[in-house]
Amino acid sequence: MSHVLTQEKPNIVQRLVRDHSPLVIVLVLVFMAICIIGAATAPNFLTIFNFKTIIRDAAIVGIMAIGLTFVTLSGNFFLLSMKETAALSIIAFATCMAAGYGFPISFLVTMGIATAAGAIQGLLIGLGGNPIVVTLGAAGLFFGIGSWWSDNLVVSFRRPHGAEWLGTGSTFGLPNITIAFVIIAIVAEFVLRKTSFGRQVYLIGANRAAGRATGHENFAMAIKVCIIASICSAFVAVAFSAQVSSAHVNYFSSSFGSSGDMTIMVIATVMVGGNSIMGGYGSTLRSSLGAIFISTIDNMMVLHGFNSGPRVLAVGLMIVFSIMVFALVRRGSRAEE
Amino acid sequence: MIMKLKNWVVANPDLAFAILLSVCVYGYFAATNELFATQRTVYAIMERFAVLGLVGLALTLCIIAGEIDLSIGSNAALAAVITVRFTDSLGAPTALLIALIVSTSVGAIQGYFIAYLRIRAIVLTVGTLMLLRGVALFAAEEKTVMLTDFRVPDFISTKMLGYFSPASLLVIFMFIVVGLFMSYTRYGREIYAIGGARKEAVAAGVSLKRPMIIVFAISGLCAGLGGAIIGLRSGTAQALGLQYVLLAGTVAAFIGGVSILGGKGGVIGAAIGTLTVNFLNTGLVFNVTPAFMVQLYLGILLIVVIMFQTGSRVFDENQRRRQVLADTDRLALELQGRRNRLRSG
Repeated sequence: MSHVLTQEKPNIVQRLVRDHSPLVIVLVLVFMAICIIGAATAPNFLTIFNFKTIIRDAAIVGIMAIGLTFVTLSGNFFLLSMKETAALSIIAFATCMAAGYGFPISFLVTMGIATAAGAIQGLLIGLGGNPIVVTLGAAGLFFGIGSWWSDNLVVSFRRPHGAEWLGTGSTFGLPNITIAFVIIAIVAEFVLRKTSFGRQVYLIGANRAAGRATGHENFAMAIKVCIIASICSAFVAVAFSAQVSSAHVNYFSSSFGSSGDMTIMVIATVMVGGNSIMGGYGSTLRSSLGAIFISTIDNMMVLHGFNSGPRVLAVGLMIVFSIMVFALVRRGSRAEE
Repeated sequence: MIMKLKNWVVANPDLAFAILLSVCVYGYFAATNELFATQRTVYAIMERFAVLGLVGLALTLCIIAGEIDLSIGSNAALAAVITVRFTDSLGAPTALLIALIVSTSVGAIQGYFIAYLRIRAIVLTVGTLMLLRGVALFAAEEKTVMLTDFRVPDFISTKMLGYFSPASLLVIFMFIVVGLFMSYTRYGREIYAIGGARKEAVAAGVSLKRPMIIVFAISGLCAGLGGAIIGLRSGTAQALGLQYVLLAGTVAAFIGGVSILGGKGGVIGAAIGTLTVNFLNTGLVFNVTPAFMVQLYLGILLIVVIMFQTGSRVFDENQRRRQVLADTDRLALELQGRRNRLRSG
């Protein structure tokens, strides 16, 4: 009797064993074990202050990753120009601030430029250009424009300025950038789940032919999602510039942070979250969690005193690992190709 | 003679376009700067060709197979770090051998996993891009590694035959070998097959794994050799360097006539595409253009080339669709006429 019952209602362990290959299960278990051991042995890891630090670190990459998730979900792979868009935006913002236009106008100008940058890329992708190649070219273009505009110099503006509340301010003990991250994550998730635009993103990503047959062309969608991604990049650029009161095109290049290239970090975040790169499967919530996850591992390794080499290595391993696990898990399912 | 030339152009429009473009770029700089068309400049261009040509070749092969290898810069940086680090203790040939074995096996492993997991190469190589950077940082201990003995850099840049150095001669030899491999061996043709018509090729019995492993192994070998040459020539290597080669190599590959859909292009195109990029690069340096402007021009060039290609593809498709529709209409009219005739007669 009990045997029959277990067959009808397998418990969670049995379900896991049935649905996934032993390789995947072992890999995930090993990975979880490393995380738990690391967390338990790292000094000062389990404190509220450290937790706040993790979320704040995750915010910068996380906001960009949320923007990029729209592109990925709509089946347009990813943009290789995230960091260059941010570089162009940060120069635009700092130049306007230095010229004394004040925060609102500078912010709007930056967003306008980012929208134009996104629209150009979206237009080219929508016309049938390969997203990787188009954005690789666009990346060179934007970086060149940013360097040319700033003469490859640091643009700085004086404190106090109107953007400090975004860069360094905090509300109820939480940094404002963290709050912005949470708000953007919630809004993005709402847009994807509850609005017709969000459902169209999933439809076009999951099945482009079906999308076209029902009147949802990728042309308009590519432009929209690229603009969203660019605006998220620009927002991060503004927040970052507000924090350090200056700008340089190389702020988001390899010298930024610890873990190599910003664009690749953002793509890594989207992938580690488990979004399907082919589109149609995933959510911005996954990307946000991916950002927090990467940030946690990074934080743990910093507390253990690792240098940047092992940390970049760890993020790289995480990406490759998650790609493999998700590819193995989804094998044979509809989302494979 | 002219008839022959015309036939050749009609048969190879992409290659003809690439040659025309490279001649135009070279001609422009030769006409505007009298120092450009000298033997010394040609030597400098060939020196650049040694590195960029290899990257262009690697990317051309990947794009022919219908994939794109984003980890090429990281792989090159890793090879550069390994070569420079071990040259002092083990000697240049051994260090070079180690670096090439590492980069080739990295490529082959990537190819295996791409075929085994049946994922797109961009997905995996974005991960290995970061992973290899980490390995390179690890191997370099987060420092810039340097040579202490500068005999090797001196040897690599010795002038030979007026225009060449040992490095560029090696690269030209590599181009010839890969070109023969791609055109005249079964394995080379398989790479074209899985690029141009993957489903059909697999259905016809071509294994996906073998060409994928071969193409990524060659790509890794080229990237590693390019990185090693650049590292040995300058005597230094940085784990985070060589990020720019992806853009330049992609531009070179697309000028050389590959199609993003795969199955098109070749080694000669890769050589000409790289030369065009090198003419542009060197010419801009001659005219004292800052490095970031070079990147801007390359970006514009890539977008223009890819839009030209996409535009012509869409145009072709529309033409074909229109042709099919017209044929169907004609057929329908004919049937209608025949039916009417039957009915009346």
